[in-house]
Amino acid sequence: MLEKIGKSLMNIKLLRKIFNWGRAWSLWSVHLETGCCGPEDMARACARFDTERFGTLPFPTLRECDLIFVTGFVTKKMAKRLKLAYEQMPEPKYVIAIGHCSISGGLWWDSYSVVQGVDEILPVDVYVPGCPPRPEAWIQGIRMLQEKIAKEGLKK
Amino acid sequence: MSIMKLSMGPQHPITGHFRFILDVDGDLVLKLEPDIGYTHRGIEKLAEKRTYLQNLPLIERVNSYCDSVGTMLGYLEAIEELMGLEVPERAKYLRVIAAELNRIASHLYAACLFSVATGLETMLMWPINDRELILDLLEKLTGQRITYTYPTIGGVRFDMSEGFKEEALKRLDYLEKRTEDYYKMLLWNHTFQIRAKNVGILKPSDAIRLGIVGPNLRASGVKADVRKDEPYEVYDRFDFSIPTGKNGDSYDRLEVRFKEVEQSINILRQAIKDIPKGPIKKWAPPIVPKGEVYTRVEAARGEFGYYIVADGTMKPYRLKMSPPSFRNLIALPYLCRNVPLADVPVIYISLDLIPMDVDR
Ligand code: SF4
Repeated sequence: MLEKIGKSLMNIKLLRKIFNWGRAWSLWSVHLETGCCGPEDMARACARFDTERFGTLPFPTLRECDLIFVTGFVTKKMAKRLKLAYEQMPEPKYVIAIGHCSISGGLWWDSYSVVQGVDEILPVDVYVPGCPPRPEAWIQGIRMLQEKIAKEGLKK
Repeated sequence: MSIMKLSMGPQHPITGHFRFILDVDGDLVLKLEPDIGYTHRGIEKLAEKRTYLQNLPLIERVNSYCDSVGTMLGYLEAIEELMGLEVPERAKYLRVIAAELNRIASHLYAACLFSVATGLETMLMWPINDRELILDLLEKLTGQRITYTYPTIGGVRFDMSEGFKEEALKRLDYLEKRTEDYYKMLLWNHTFQIRAKNVGILKPSDAIRLGIVGPNLRASGVKADVRKDEPYEVYDRFDFSIPTGKNGDSYDRLEVRFKEVEQSINILRQAIKDIPKGPIKKWAPPIVPKGEVYTRVEAARGEFGYYIVADGTMKPYRLKMSPPSFRNLIALPYLCRNVPLADVPVIYISLDLIPMDVDR
């Protein structure tokens, strides 16, 4: 019964818009560093760049997060954990691939233990190139994701 | 009572890319087993497939986390020794300047991680913000924020830009004043002292027996620094001291890092003052003559060793690294025996281990 009411409420365009707005500006990210873009994750979250202005805050609990930054290369051992972390997150969830390594393997294109592009294991929403991308580029990535959510948002 | 197995990381605010398998009895950690390999890329193997010059960005990313210049210097030292190449004076000074700036950035990063582990959020923001100032300087010098590939075979890639000296001196003055604030805010803070003092005590004899290097060894009271013992580049021309700790606990390990920042500022001032004029790079042949060499340098986290076997081609036959974090890792299971669970993050962060460095 409740589900039905929820669904019919979501048919109202204005309500959907408000929902998407809230979703886009409260993207909490998972604390999972996979590669050496990690320190820039710290830099973008702390003083000076402070992505909390855009509602993106690293949060320890997976269950309350909606965003994964794949920070750099993903080794085969890490890939399993990354997938596990992704599966534990509640819907809706988004992935931003940071750095050349997570886009295409980058510097480790011929390595035996690195996954060649994280899109082999996770559906990626935004790609941010760089080695490592500057914090400004991270912010642009976040903004792009917000625009994407505002445009598509809830399917129904 | 029953013993429980607890898995910590890699999705954890403190552990970074590590996973710890803990044996806990209630709140007491009986045994800690580090599970490494989450960032293993096989750099040593990849290095055999690429030429010496192509290896530079590869080597740098062993520890591009904070300390790329310090990491690369050892590799370059090794190659230049094999080639018998004498680097121009100015390039040596520039390398030292970049390396010391990097060391400051790295130690500030360690300080902010320490504050996270002890729950002091303000001190997470302060060092990170001051680190940005240093990164700005490095950006001015090298053109990148953390992965510079600045030194190259036979010299460095770019010269100092105009106004760099004045800007650097200004920021160093500021940072020196700022370290006093750090003492007030962090090191003399009562809350912090309760968390960090007498936690994870490493005796000097144990530190030497386990093969600990870098600030962790010096915090235990052993005076050992490659910059003094076996000077490379132009470190023998500077006047600086090696700070050591007394007790070898977590508190001392952080205090030594802050004192090292002061010493680095000291070195930087001297280097900026007497940097000579001249070329910054010498042409180097792509082929390295046959031979074997082992060099060591003092990176931010400790002694970084490189062993290279060259077979007279453009590619190394074998490249073996012994990074500082890998050698310091052994202290972690040793210290985390019969300690409360809440002390594990403090001990881990105080050792300043970088998983990337451990796994290669
Ligand atoms: S993109 Fe560059 S900095 Fe980022 S993980 Fe890859 S090699 Fe490291």
